[in-house]
Amino acid sequence: MHRPSDPQQALKQGSSRSLRPIQVGFGLRVSHYEEILKRGIRADFAEITSENFLGRGGRALAVLERVRAELPVALHGVSLSIGGIEPLNRGYLTELAGLATRIDALSVSDHLCFASFGGHYAHDLWPLPYTEEALVHVVARVAEVQDRLGRQLLLENVSSYVEYQASALTEWEFLAEVAARAGAGILLDVNNVFVSAQNLGFSPEQYLVGIPVERVEQLHLAGHSDGGGFLLDDHGSPVTADVWRLYEQALARFGNVPTIIEWDERVPALSELEAEAERARSVAMRGFSGQRERDAVRP
Amino acid sequence: MKLAELERYFASVATSTSGPPVDLDEVFKSSSELSARARLGIYNRGYHYRLLGALASVFARTERALGEAQFERLGLAYLARHPSEHPAIERVGRLFPQYLGQLPEIAGEHVDLAVLEWARLTALVAPDPGAILSAHGVDPVQFPSSRLHFVPSLTTLSLDVRALGLFPAVSESSAGGAEASSEAQRRGVAVWRKRHVVRHEALDALELAALELARSGASVTRFCALFESDAPAEDAARAFRVVSGWFAREWIERSEVVTSV
Repeated sequence: MHRPSDPQQALKQGSSRSLRPIQVGFGLRVSHYEEILKRGIRADFAEITSENFLGRGGRALAVLERVRAELPVALHGVSLSIGGIEPLNRGYLTELAGLATRIDALSVSDHLCFASFGGHYAHDLWPLPYTEEALVHVVARVAEVQDRLGRQLLLENVSSYVEYQASALTEWEFLAEVAARAGAGILLDVNNVFVSAQNLGFSPEQYLVGIPVERVEQLHLAGHSDGGGFLLDDHGSPVTADVWRLYEQALARFGNVPTIIEWDERVPALSELEAEAERARSVAMRGFSGQRERDAVRP
Repeated sequence: MKLAELERYFASVATSTSGPPVDLDEVFKSSSELSARARLGIYNRGYHYRLLGALASVFARTERALGEAQFERLGLAYLARHPSEHPAIERVGRLFPQYLGQLPEIAGEHVDLAVLEWARLTALVAPDPGAILSAHGVDPVQFPSSRLHFVPSLTTLSLDVRALGLFPAVSESSAGGAEASSEAQRRGVAVWRKRHVVRHEALDALELAALELARSGASVTRFCALFESDAPAEDAARAFRVVSGWFAREWIERSEVVTSV
């Protein structure tokens, strides 16, 4: 199991990733489709919700083709139910694999959760008990998905509001172990770390330290709101100051990792979404400029 | 509890419409700030209202016609009986029109408004056609013995005309096709997507019959025979106008010559 020796040092770890170009993007939303068809988007890459593009044509497909002609596109799903006890939906996986191949997807990701019950879809990201039994179950399913996709799956940490009494591992230990055993990547949602930390009472910095640097392939940022005694991960507002600070720490630990802004409720103008992505770039540039200067003078 | 039991238990609490069970603290952790009951309540509200929101976005005009409170009551009852069966959340309303149709308190035009809205969603997400056949692209000699293949988004419905009147003429729709009426008359309606825009249009009975015959694989000669009357010159002009309209609406993907008509 991944156990960092010195948490303070681990948070400042960084990596050679800082030498790569900074990449920021955002999730495409229906309310922007017409504008995107006219002018494209200003970003380094884009993310789409996989389920909204599987087996369908029309404007959604035209938008995808328009954006993909100019930029890489990441596929981000919500209905895989990687931790579910229901059999994996093979038809869904076949369609997902086809879409990933067709657009040469930058990545394919979904959430570390379960999202199905009794043959139905929850359309929510329900938390798993972090037990050895669940670990073995999830690892086997990730392996099956990766076989069917013919590529690595990225798993995203979800926002949580409750923990099981049965959990024997922390969420970060569970996520790190799934990634290590299954060879999966991690899409670390910094906002979700913050929201879960507040709701469940753990240290978000401790979470970051518990995640192995080499597994983190992408970062997510989003807004949350005060639900009255808890934080609600509603993706309906700008990224908060607390999450920007945690993002800086995440960059310091994981290095220059591509970052996506997610905004799903009260979706603002496309230009505002682009500005939020540019803010992520500014934060990353500020964080890496010192390191680049040091690297430049190194013999 | 094993993983399967825990997931089933969580799902039963998150999707419950009758409140959480009393033994939550045995399975979930509480804190001084938030009880397990309150924590599970977040998931319970999230589950129901996320799906209700998806239903309302597809059946926006039905919601307006029924009123927000009644739509919420009926929507939640529907979702309890018909949980989502599709990975895409927008498809959760597949059986909603039929569900409304079984409720005696729901007026027929409101049921048919829901039928129309579902058909429009189906057209919106339908696969793209492989091609669009233009009238200039057909061989006039072979065309009469051809079978037409229609675009995947095209569908036909029979609706209460009052439902069409309830659907406001908006820019994305070519026409409601009928004014509001107090009588429950039915009209044939075609729903399709032209490029990126979903349209629906009322059809007269003869055009609807010809279209349905054509979609069943009948040749042009065979479905045009429906227009025969005592005035052959007018029949030909009428059939020409109808088929020209199908080309203009971009309903025809391709034609295929058949040996036997």
